[in-house]
Amino acid sequence: MVVGSVSRGCQVVVIGAGPGGYVAAIRLAQLGKDVILVEKEARLGGVCLNVGCIPSKALIHVADLAHEVLGAEDMGLTVSSLAIDLPKMVEWKDGIVDRLTSGVAFLCEKNGVEVVQGAAEFVSDRSLTVSSEDGRFEIEFEQAVIATGSRPMALEGFEHDGERIIGSTEALSLQAVPEKLVIIGAGYIGLELGSVYAKLGSQVSIVEFLPKVAPDLDPEVGKALTRQLKKLGVKLHLSHRAESFEAGDPSVVVARGPKDDELRLEADVVLMTVGRVPNSEGLGLEAAGIQIDDKGFITVDDRMRTSAPGIYAIGDVTGGALLAHKAYQEAKVAAEVIAGEPAAFDNVVPAVIYTDPEVAWVGLGEEEAKEQGFNVVTGTFPFKASGRAMSLDATDGFVKAVADADTKQLLGVVAVGRGVSEFIGEATLALEMGAFLEDVALTIHPHPTMSEAFQEAVEAALGRAVHMVNKS
Amino acid sequence: MAFVFNFPDVGEGIHEGRVVEWLVAEGDTVVEDQALVKVETDKAVVELPSPHSGTVLRLHAAADADILVGDPLVTIGEAGEKVPEDFAPVAEAAPAPALQPAEIEAPGPAVGSRRPLATPRTRSLARKLGVDLKSVQGSGSGGRITDEDVERAAEGGSPAAPTPPVGTVAATADGEVERVPITHLRKIIAGAMRTAKHTAAHVTHVDEADVTDLVAHYRRAKPVIEERTGVRFTLLPLFIKALVATLQKHPIFNASVDEERGEILYKKYYNIGVAVDTPEGLIVPVIRDADRKDMVELAAEVADKAERARNRQLGLDELKGGSCTITNIGPLGGVFATPIINVPELAIIGLHAIKERPAVVDGEIVIRKMMYLSVSFDHRYIDGAEGARFMSDMVRLVSEPMLLIARL
Repeated sequence: MVVGSVSRGCQVVVIGAGPGGYVAAIRLAQLGKDVILVEKEARLGGVCLNVGCIPSKALIHVADLAHEVLGAEDMGLTVSSLAIDLPKMVEWKDGIVDRLTSGVAFLCEKNGVEVVQGAAEFVSDRSLTVSSEDGRFEIEFEQAVIATGSRPMALEGFEHDGERIIGSTEALSLQAVPEKLVIIGAGYIGLELGSVYAKLGSQVSIVEFLPKVAPDLDPEVGKALTRQLKKLGVKLHLSHRAESFEAGDPSVVVARGPKDDELRLEADVVLMTVGRVPNSEGLGLEAAGIQIDDKGFITVDDRMRTSAPGIYAIGDVTGGALLAHKAYQEAKVAAEVIAGEPAAFDNVVPAVIYTDPEVAWVGLGEEEAKEQGFNVVTGTFPFKASGRAMSLDATDGFVKAVADADTKQLLGVVAVGRGVSEFIGEATLALEMGAFLEDVALTIHPHPTMSEAFQEAVEAALGRAVHMVNKS
Repeated sequence: MAFVFNFPDVGEGIHEGRVVEWLVAEGDTVVEDQALVKVETDKAVVELPSPHSGTVLRLHAAADADILVGDPLVTIGEAGEKVPEDFAPVAEAAPAPALQPAEIEAPGPAVGSRRPLATPRTRSLARKLGVDLKSVQGSGSGGRITDEDVERAAEGGSPAAPTPPVGTVAATADGEVERVPITHLRKIIAGAMRTAKHTAAHVTHVDEADVTDLVAHYRRAKPVIEERTGVRFTLLPLFIKALVATLQKHPIFNASVDEERGEILYKKYYNIGVAVDTPEGLIVPVIRDADRKDMVELAAEVADKAERARNRQLGLDELKGGSCTITNIGPLGGVFATPIINVPELAIIGLHAIKERPAVVDGEIVIRKMMYLSVSFDHRYIDGAEGARFMSDMVRLVSEPMLLIARL
């Protein structure tokens, strides 16, 4: 193709086709806007669909299945031999990714969103260039939505080579189960992938700089997770700073403990999950007058407006919780604001960690609620007392409800257990609707399900749980 | 080391203010640039950011207290640090022994920043109707704000409907009387109006314009402009443009006077003040360089500044530096009015209601869209004939859109 100063115009350009970008583009098109969606990668869907949420959940499911089957002797199920074919597993997972990413492409097409492949860079607050192998052209726009997402943070001394030192992307496509896997960082990605490989047979060690797992959550969550990791044989090295990597066969990760003691961990593969950083460089943000904070996240208001009029930003690149469903909502808000609707982001954001057991929460935790000045009452229902949990052989975990003791308004819910991810949406709805404890207590929950524990926890907060002894 | 943050000089000429609301409490941890307190000054409520990170050890002024530039506002230091008692709260008049340390309590819980109790649907409705849920009393279960509550609040007035003034009701021989303190803003407005009426020799000239064509052009362009830009387009930018063009021809209307030196200051810029009616009183944000902005930019800026004026979020620099003012009284009804000049400017232009009235065109009585335009000017420096010529030029521009375009 000829490289020249070809210029095109559209009403709205969306940069990045992850969960934020493609939803914004589709919603904008539905609202009658002429939209161009620019994606740097060959496939739509961003990290979430290609190398994040979806593929990791696929692998987690298979690992759980293997683990459950192998542990089902007490239930009368004995497996003589279980072969793990990782390449086959990865192929199955890739099939799911293909279906979903082509589904996004289909939806874009049917909604009239024009998709353009290339890297976008602002030239001004009303124009940007798109560069790809095919050339370079300019787009003039009236409004822009930045949805460029985030990427794994690098750690000095651990240079990513994709083989011995890998990130979450490679961890989802390994062709063999590593014998010894060292994970740096006990965030949710490290914990999820650590559990997967422990279940598939790796000896997993996790090195974490902080003294606790899930330090921001209810202390009971960390305890439950630590207990389960121990059961899986995962070695957890808390309060350890990963210092260096010595390549070899096997390689060695050197970490330093709280008393300046040196820890040497043998590793066939080192998985880096120390956090994520925004993709805000190389976009020409300065040329458009868009401000970022000291960590590189684009600053936005509750209508997703950046400091540059007409330019919006959504999803991971704006910081906060780096979650696809937060990006979905922000995408809809940005699209509607652009279309002149009175939208704003004023929501509570639920979160899930797909460890075993799963962790899910929404709203305020007990400590947070106290810090905010609430007089707090809580109610906890353990899955040990749940018939459904027993029948699933999954009695680990609990549901805890946090409420304002004075008004009895529900403030937050944290749950640990099998399948709790599926009913945290119910708790989120309760918070959005401003539910009081009575509202949940008087709502019938189907029996037998794990969701009954939410109702029981709320009843416990009211001092009237039926299936456990209430605290006096 | 504890640091005492004094009420800073927030802008030219501002030397006193009133504490509206503390955003932090003693014992709170604050970070640099975090908003500490809302202070009402001449025309705006400003949030003062913290110059340091640390723990709030002491608030020196109570809410509602009047403060002068340089007065201590807050002491910030480390938790548990001792504060010299010489900055005792204003309320405690009795002098404390010098340098006797006072124990500061460990950080206590702050008051919860509670979300308004309303469902997503109701919150969306509130945004649509411009209602601030924090000012709505819920009538539903447990104090839930219902759709009806929001609709009622929207009907009750403009966005962020002010809470009714709280005063003391006393019985007098003539009946009950409620005594309500005059707000700081109202005192400022009163002072400015009195100065204007006392110093300027006010005279108002009124003329009539046939804006049938202007309105027809506007109606055709409005949906196109709004669809292309997303900006709500109004008639006001057309009048601002007509005013700027007229000011360029009659520079004395874009001037002020330095009486001490006996000089007239002809402004080479066109910063147009736009009078905004807010629940708490008149505020005049300034649209800078109106001659260099297109009409869509003017519409967006007027809408933004009017909204922020109503929410008292304008910065002081957005209220200063005007060269001439426009007041759009039309939507509120009436035939015409005689607005008071925004001193030290020399003129104010009033836009009055556009109404269909019989008019004579080519010897026939026809129904036309007519409006009165007024200019109140300072007769000390502008003669009546100049006022008439000024108005007649502006009327010509708004009556004949092609001329308006040609003059841009």
